[in-house]
Amino acid sequence: MTSLFRALNAELLKLKRTLAFRVIFVLPFLVALLQFFIVWRTKSFGPKFNLWQTLPTNSLQVWAVFMMPLLITLETALLNGIEHSDKQWKHLFALPIPRHSIYFSKLVVAQGLILVSTIVLAVLTVLVGVAATYMKPDLASEGPIPYVWIAKQTAYVWLASWLIIAIHTWISMRWSGFAIALGAGIGGTFFALFAACASVGKYYPWLLPMNIFIEGRFTAALLLGIGGGIVASLLGCFAFVRRDVA
Amino acid sequence: MENCLIETRGLTRRFGQQLAVNNVNLSVPAAGVYGFLGPNGAGKTTAIRMLLGLIRPNAGEVRLFGESLNGNQRTLMRRVGALVESPSLYPHLTGRENLEVTRRLLGAPRHLIDLALETIKLTKDAGRCVREYSLGMRQRLGLGVALLNKPELLILDEPTNGLDPAGIHEMRDLIRRLPNEFGVTVFLSSHLLGEVEQTASHIGIIHEGSLLFQGTLGELQSKQQTRLTVGVKQIDEAIACLASAGWDVQRVDGLLSVSARAPQDAIEINRLLVERRFDVFHLSLAQASLEDIFLTLTKRPA
Repeated sequence: MTSLFRALNAELLKLKRTLAFRVIFVLPFLVALLQFFIVWRTKSFGPKFNLWQTLPTNSLQVWAVFMMPLLITLETALLNGIEHSDKQWKHLFALPIPRHSIYFSKLVVAQGLILVSTIVLAVLTVLVGVAATYMKPDLASEGPIPYVWIAKQTAYVWLASWLIIAIHTWISMRWSGFAIALGAGIGGTFFALFAACASVGKYYPWLLPMNIFIEGRFTAALLLGIGGGIVASLLGCFAFVRRDVA
Repeated sequence: MENCLIETRGLTRRFGQQLAVNNVNLSVPAAGVYGFLGPNGAGKTTAIRMLLGLIRPNAGEVRLFGESLNGNQRTLMRRVGALVESPSLYPHLTGRENLEVTRRLLGAPRHLIDLALETIKLTKDAGRCVREYSLGMRQRLGLGVALLNKPELLILDEPTNGLDPAGIHEMRDLIRRLPNEFGVTVFLSSHLLGEVEQTASHIGIIHEGSLLFQGTLGELQSKQQTRLTVGVKQIDEAIACLASAGWDVQRVDGLLSVSARAPQDAIEINRLLVERRFDVFHLSLAQASLEDIFLTLTKRPA
């Protein structure tokens, strides 16, 4: 356990001045900006419109189906890219620290960055909502902000993304090229965008965060996201530990 | 062998059909610099990767500090510092931060960073990003990272590769100081004999995966052939005379070349020729360079 904390501690220092760190603020900002424009440009909201339900749901859905997989692709590729660039793996593996600690520190940092980014999105979304009540006074009567509900949805989306994070961590550790990671990310997201309605979509890794919002898929999304994520992480760790370092 | 920091027995590693390292038995004594010499592609890096547990041997065993590497890797690696090929650095971090990354991984005390920076003479530039460093500075920082935890054994793979003459000189100086000032044993690989000759006390020569020679620098030098070149007017008669006296003699460019072991031989040969009334006008003794030994050793079919 000490060695995992040491590895995590080292990982945090490596984030300094990196794109990997900045991106976790940029992407949620873009999604929030989109929501802001939607609220701003919408002439009239239907009678059934509920600001504090629709806005966070929209925001998180756009996030879940598109931005988040993109972010995961980027983050894992960047986090592991800094180890490929100067062949740092050989240095790390020659240190008196178990390889599984190095592996899990990478995985946990990736998960952490995705979590922070998703929280940033939730906070920005609430701010957009507050701004909306000022811009459109008829929305002001929507009642108190459901913080707990928003927090839960945020957490669910993140938990459902564990499997994607595990898959991408494995890919970006295994191959040094950015192109392979990017290809996998684009491919995964591409099918997710168009296969959401297909019945296999229930089990498709890149759709799990989105499935949180789809009736009848919630439980499967959470179970597969967390369980699949853990299994895939353990398999990835197993491969990583046994690897020859060229 | 007693007091061996590195010992390998029958170390073998194959890549597909190719034997990269073939039944290598290294014994690296404590203290001093061990030069691991071989042409490019001889298997040096593969052997070093096995010493560090980066790749597994197909056969044989690595023992460090008298203990098998297998299963003890973590405890043994605490006592080892390594710089394999190019230094593994994070260009977006400063020199100090790069040391800090490894320090955090090791859980080592903070003051070791300043100590390492001082040793590699980078204190002044410690706050600059590594991407602004010259190749020589990077290599020194890589050495600093390897030295951070005060290792007893330092494994350096081609530490002067790609450096300019000034960088090579700096690096060599640093490596030479290490055994005395820090009590660390250095295992150093190189394809340059001159490099090893100037720093190492012990030498191992590897070629096509096999260890051809292992011993002290003195032992290697004693394998050197000395040749005596003699200039004499009556050349054919002189050849007959020396040959009949039992010397191995050849005619080279109008001079005689006699295989001799020591200056004493030169004295005897000269006396013999002068006593037989030959007109000797040239006498010189030349040692075959280590380069020649190296070439002779590595030309031998493995």
